[in-house]
Amino acid sequence: MKIGLEVHVALPTKSKLFCSCSMDDAEPNTNICPICTGFPGSKPMLNSAAAESGFSIANALHCKINRNMSFVRKVYFYPDLPKCYQITQMGGAVGSEGYLDIQGKRIGIRRVQIEEDPAQIVRDGMLTLLDFNRSGTPLVEIVTEPDITDEGELRSFIANLRSILYYLGVDINREIKADLNISISDVRVEVKNVTGIKSLIEAARYEIARQHRVLEEGKAIAKETRGYNEKRRITESLREKETDEEYGYVYEPDLTVFDISGMKPAEPVYANEIAEQLAEDSDVNAKTIREMTMLDRHALELIVRFRPKYKMRSIIHAIQRFKKYGKAEVPPPQVIEKLIRLVEDGKEVTKETVASFEEGKDVSIEYAKLGAVQLDKLIKRFLDENPRMVAEYKKRSKTINLIIGRIAKENGLHPKEVAGRVTRLLAGY
Amino acid sequence: MASHIKEFLGAEKPGDYYSALVEQLKKANGEYHAFNQIDGSVADANNAVPFSSKANICVKGFETTAGSKMLQGYVPPFNATVIERMLGDDRFTFIGETGMDEFGFGTFGTNTEVPAKNAFDSGYAAGGSSSGAAVATALLKYHVALSESTGGSISTPAALNGVVGFTPTYGSVSRYGLIDYASSLDKIGVMARSGEDIRIVFDAVRGRDDYDTTCAVQDIRDEKKKKLFVIEELNQYSDKRIHSHFERLLDTLGEKYEIATKSIGVLGSAVESYYIIAMAEASTNLAKYNGYKYGLQHIEPNARYNEFFTEARANFGVEAKRRIILGTFIRSESVKSRYYTKALSVRSMIIKEMGKVLKEGFIISPTLPVTTPRVSDVKKLTPVQEYAMDIFTVPPSLGGFPHITFPYQYTDGMPIGAQLVGGQANDYAVIDFATEWESEFDYKYKHNIGSL
Amino acid sequence: MDEQEFDRLLKVARLKLSESEKKTIKRDIDEVIRYFDKIAGVAAGDDPSYQPIRVPTRFREDRVIPFKDVELLKKGSKLREGYIIGPKL
Repeated sequence: MKIGLEVHVALPTKSKLFCSCSMDDAEPNTNICPICTGFPGSKPMLNSAAAESGFSIANALHCKINRNMSFVRKVYFYPDLPKCYQITQMGGAVGSEGYLDIQGKRIGIRRVQIEEDPAQIVRDGMLTLLDFNRSGTPLVEIVTEPDITDEGELRSFIANLRSILYYLGVDINREIKADLNISISDVRVEVKNVTGIKSLIEAARYEIARQHRVLEEGKAIAKETRGYNEKRRITESLREKETDEEYGYVYEPDLTVFDISGMKPAEPVYANEIAEQLAEDSDVNAKTIREMTMLDRHALELIVRFRPKYKMRSIIHAIQRFKKYGKAEVPPPQVIEKLIRLVEDGKEVTKETVASFEEGKDVSIEYAKLGAVQLDKLIKRFLDENPRMVAEYKKRSKTINLIIGRIAKENGLHPKEVAGRVTRLLAGY
Repeated sequence: MASHIKEFLGAEKPGDYYSALVEQLKKANGEYHAFNQIDGSVADANNAVPFSSKANICVKGFETTAGSKMLQGYVPPFNATVIERMLGDDRFTFIGETGMDEFGFGTFGTNTEVPAKNAFDSGYAAGGSSSGAAVATALLKYHVALSESTGGSISTPAALNGVVGFTPTYGSVSRYGLIDYASSLDKIGVMARSGEDIRIVFDAVRGRDDYDTTCAVQDIRDEKKKKLFVIEELNQYSDKRIHSHFERLLDTLGEKYEIATKSIGVLGSAVESYYIIAMAEASTNLAKYNGYKYGLQHIEPNARYNEFFTEARANFGVEAKRRIILGTFIRSESVKSRYYTKALSVRSMIIKEMGKVLKEGFIISPTLPVTTPRVSDVKKLTPVQEYAMDIFTVPPSLGGFPHITFPYQYTDGMPIGAQLVGGQANDYAVIDFATEWESEFDYKYKHNIGSL
Repeated sequence: MDEQEFDRLLKVARLKLSESEKKTIKRDIDEVIRYFDKIAGVAAGDDPSYQPIRVPTRFREDRVIPFKDVELLKKGSKLREGYIIGPKL
């Protein structure tokens, strides 16, 4: 089975792709001008932030960057398309021949292109109602190679893409619009205009099952374009409106070749790969770290920051607790650190502790203070009573953390204080 | 000949000058159809030279149709940059919009519902596509015309109406607010009765604009040349009469300039290349006219969009339909490289080859290969025959080179024009050539409406 | 150009011609295409120029400047609750 995707992503700019109209939500047809409504005589002027954002996405997807990018006109007739041609990119696209690594697999990226969104259509009975506020929204279309081979990979691809885009300031959860190409035999079926990640997965699942069913019934799969019906959660054949459409691309003569070599792409963050690294030599698996960090840059920052000092499990636990109870959008590192210590001391993090830490009240932890002889005695007794833990330690040195944790917790001691002596004394066992 | 603008601004004028002007102009317009619309409010002007604009340049609040039924009733909600600049200049006042071939599609001004008539003899073609601008300039003594050319739409009507027509370097004047024909070829220029007036208006409207990416030529040069080149590949197309008139012009100019013949082989393919590029782009620029949002309101509530669009687009004129079909054909994937890409490559060669020659001197030619045709004769021309009339105006258009047309001869009461081409951005030198010519040659006009 | 191709172009361009228009335009177009075919013989290399001049890179700064005459943009349209009514889908 082969699945290819064309994902459309709205770019995070203040103004539109080719005009200075606002991108904010507004009453229908209020953020409009002669350019985004396609009035005669108007001309496009390319938004630098959109170009930069497109460049950053192409760069993050390991594309070859076209430092002299250019635009074309794609001509087709539809009521929502103000000029009846869309300004988009083809050979001059900002990025091409890239890839995205998902767990254990490389998915090819054919092209990353910058283009304008048409107006929004709202159907009111038989009426076609148009809102040009959306017209001219800067989009990036990401075209993959048909390298995805099952639903799991599709999910993983979308999750990874979403994470990369998230770190570039683009949230695609609801806005994502995609076309799917699915072929389980040698016939390619296109499923157009699927909106939202949930629908995308569902549409793919339905379409795969449908194609299998058709084959099982001994019939042939028709090469066609289908749409996804969100309500009924099925794909359905679209009327063949575009059989005679020929886009007749020409170079966009109102624009020029844009030299973007002076631009700096935003540094990409591959949370997926970082999670793998963080999981090494830690007491938490990569999946947990990934889940926490792929769409949360603050969590990732905190983990990276505290990783050298504390146990991963404690850090994750502290962040989880804060996310549950904390008020602040962005967790303050000082508060998190105190929470981590609390966790490491085996104390419970309650709503109240988070609240009091956030309010700045320092709930200091009283550790019992022991003399060196007394401490060693205590540790020895524990090691003698728990030979299995010692044996475990001899096999996997990582488990020392469990020993330290238990001793500190049972005796109300600071783990750090315990740690040094435990290492020393274990050598004698 | 001195500047009419300066002369007018410095002169005493009767108190009812502008209202009388409007009245006389309206009367003359009834015969010549130079203007689609005359702005009555010019009657309140105070010591400013009237300027007109071609009907494809958007004027806020003023019906702007580009000569097309598809844009009937279109009142632009904004001014073109050139209009904004002229309105902001107190030396000028707006007088109205001039008629044209639909969307600029025509060499003789006949492709529109009410064609303008030649100012010297209404039985003759006014030339296109800026027919109204040329006729208006030939009618009004003190007036300048904002005009536009894609492949000769300024030179041709200027020559046929005996006025000076200037087409600047591509990208030196903003196209924002110009209703597109072929975006990579369209240039807003000026018609007037003297080179000096043209230079004043050119300076008033040109220069960088934040609304037109391609408006990129900022520094205009004034490199005078001593050599005039006649291009072999083009000159052979002139008919006998034009040929002998033009030879006499060369004799006269030969007293001051060194005249030489050059061969630029690729110009033999200029007309085809031009029409291929122009039609490919035009067919995309015209996709937006569909009978809703602006212009013609197509009422057919039950039609689905394809049928709706098709019905609405039936209102294009014949030449527009021809060019849309041809442009759509040229853009087809199966033939695109054969025509479109090839034509773009020919253009590269023309830019290079002509550019080389224009470093050494100017290129001079007749403006048209024939004398002014009668309207009835124009109607007999096939499209290919009509396109071939652009042989002299198309090469500078493809290369974005500045060119100016000026009258140099009157035969049987009709003016005959020649065209001078300069290198890119050498616009001042090109304009000044006409100014120099005027110091020794008097232009004749049949009308002088508004004279003092 | 055969009839079928001509009709396809009309469909792609959303144009409709009367029978008489169709006859003359089809004839004209065949003539023009023959004329265009002359270009096939030109050795022009592969160096397409998209504009006659070199247009330097120029961006628009990402800044919101609202258009002042939004209402005028809607004057030529039929409206419903602020939406522009377009042709039926």
